[in-house]
Amino acid sequence: MWMKLSSIALASITTISLAACGSGAPKEAISTASPAATTSAAPAAETKPAATAEQAVVKLTIATNHFDDDTSKPYDYAVAELKKEMPNVELTLQAYQQDNGQKIKTQMATGDMPDIIDTSWEIMQIGSKSNNILTLDSAPETAQFKKDLNKGNEAKLIAPDGHVYGYPYAGVEFIILYYNKKLFAEAGVQAPIKTIDQMKDAAKKFNAKGIIPLAIFSKEKWIGNSFLQGFMTREEPKGFGVLNGASETPAALKLAAKQVEELQTAGVFAKNATQTNYDQASSLFYQGKAAMFVNGQWEIASSQKNLGDNVDFMNFPAKDEATYDKAIFAMNGTGDPSGFAVSAKTKNKEVAIKVAAFMARKYAEYKYTQTGTPIVSVKIDKPITAQVPAMLTRLGKEVIPNIASFADVLNDTNIKLGIDDNAQNLLVSGFTAEQFATNLNKTMKK
Amino acid sequence: MKQYLGNKWAIFMFLTPAIVLYSVIVFYPILQTFYRSFFEWDGLGKATFIGVRNFIELAQDYLLVTSLRNGFLFAIVLVVFQIGLGTILALICSDADVKGRKLLKTAYFIPVVLSVTVVCQLWLSIYDPVNGLINKWFEAFGMAYRQDWLNSPSVSIIAIAFTNAWQYMGFQFALLYAGVKSVPEHYLEAARIDGASKWRAHLHITLPLMKETFKFCYVIAITAGIGAYVQMAIMTNGGPGTTNYTLTFMIIRSAFSSNQYGYACAISVMLIVISLIVTLVINKVFDRQESGMEQS
Repeated sequence: MWMKLSSIALASITTISLAACGSGAPKEAISTASPAATTSAAPAAETKPAATAEQAVVKLTIATNHFDDDTSKPYDYAVAELKKEMPNVELTLQAYQQDNGQKIKTQMATGDMPDIIDTSWEIMQIGSKSNNILTLDSAPETAQFKKDLNKGNEAKLIAPDGHVYGYPYAGVEFIILYYNKKLFAEAGVQAPIKTIDQMKDAAKKFNAKGIIPLAIFSKEKWIGNSFLQGFMTREEPKGFGVLNGASETPAALKLAAKQVEELQTAGVFAKNATQTNYDQASSLFYQGKAAMFVNGQWEIASSQKNLGDNVDFMNFPAKDEATYDKAIFAMNGTGDPSGFAVSAKTKNKEVAIKVAAFMARKYAEYKYTQTGTPIVSVKIDKPITAQVPAMLTRLGKEVIPNIASFADVLNDTNIKLGIDDNAQNLLVSGFTAEQFATNLNKTMKK
Repeated sequence: MKQYLGNKWAIFMFLTPAIVLYSVIVFYPILQTFYRSFFEWDGLGKATFIGVRNFIELAQDYLLVTSLRNGFLFAIVLVVFQIGLGTILALICSDADVKGRKLLKTAYFIPVVLSVTVVCQLWLSIYDPVNGLINKWFEAFGMAYRQDWLNSPSVSIIAIAFTNAWQYMGFQFALLYAGVKSVPEHYLEAARIDGASKWRAHLHITLPLMKETFKFCYVIAITAGIGAYVQMAIMTNGGPGTTNYTLTFMIIRSAFSSNQYGYACAISVMLIVISLIVTLVINKVFDRQESGMEQS
């Protein structure tokens, strides 16, 4: 009798304990307005009064990156501004896990997506198709956003299907070749390198001195993809966008693949390039063991900090100087939609849309005023307060006003994956441009 | 005991929770996978029935040949290294005359308890083409030979499989050692009295009597090889390109990168069917050997 009673009691206690552990508030961080001091000169906006009894508190969840200065500082700044502008809105942050959007897709499937998500075109496509993301075409914020867009950024807001799914903060970004001026001078290599043959010659000179010609973190497949598009846009300004609806690898891409193959044979890349991650590749460049480094224009601040005046950037070389000069302002960046999207299942649609647009604007404002980057989605009417690196100044004066084109969005994920894989293969000895084209053709026929 | 075994109600009560849990967590998802493989589905929206189109597309997929080849190569390396070497070491450690057997047994098992990420990072540095241990050994011995272990299309899969084989050889060793110890001592004593050497006795007595252990070890090694993923993901992310792809990689890519869940399910079905066929073949081979022995 006592054994039975004690067993039942033990089972009940265990059940209650487990139920208590499983319940409770979500563990994600509650955002605060506190880091205004660390975000340095926040604009001297009027402080709005605290939420009054008439303004009901609106609680929204937002999912975005928040793991380094580049991602956390804009967020903290935007939230601090939000507190002043909309004191009745409480934001709860769900920091992204660097999982390629898997958590967001799962949340879409289970119906508990955050109210606002900072996302990419791939997720927007899936979200809109499955009615998880709002179409923002008719929102008043969208009309105003369109008016305030920087020239050339229309594709960041308006998707290829003509709809608006999110408010972007970044402008169209692109990758460039950074080079160490001192190493170039010591090796007798003239900058900028304009042709593939000049690049091969430079590689010979650098290899003779034991310097890696180009550090590339090809363990991440996207950089190989972008690198290849860098060469392709010398011949075809639309880049991979021409593959939409295509059934065969276009000539410009075949040529770009051939050029990368030739550069690999010439020893431009380190032997273990496909095993090198960002930290390793950037270290090689910053320690003077690599003469060049490839990454987005967002690397400017870091490279200037590490190498000072000893670093500069150049565009991708072409087959000859005439082509280089013609295509110098055909940028390899793709204007695909990205930014803050709104869940279709949010209980506060109007407020969520307002907050999403506001966050995008404040992110852009932070990046422009605090880091000096001109590559933001909307016009900012505040002055730059940051110390602007020389390269960013040069980018803003010489490149951005003269940009002739950006590459088009490649909508097919399978073809994009095929390019990712085969672009990485091109950096390995023995893989030919013909194999690249054959594999891509097979992917396109699927 | 008879009272419990005769009580069908008690048997039902004790087995039901486990069966329900297994059905919900294992069996139902497998059925769902088979079902979904006949649909085109992005994981979120409505699924469209397309019959066997996923399987036809899979048969024409250029990644399939690479994945199957890599899976079988991986399995061969595991069998040769884990079972082959594991058997030899188990036989050596079962010999009472060998000094330091306990230390050896512990040493072989240490890699098994290490984190797979740690092991992969260790072997990544060993395989480094510039500063890696193996190429440095070649340099130290004055050899001109160098190998780009993880970038070479022909060698990289072997190098990665070896990492897995090295780590889990201790696990197979433990199973094989238990199998060796389960063979009654008097059989070996009788063989020794008849003048057989130790190794001859092992060859004709110990190994045949370990049939069930070998069956289990082969099934584990081969199915692990065919469905290998972790080491490739950590060391090369399936690359360079798709050089080190396996069926599991294809599943991950189709489902989570391309959002083609129906196609991913079709690949999963293929993986399940191949694993089942392999298991059946292994069972048949060993059962035939046993019946062959009984007849003789």
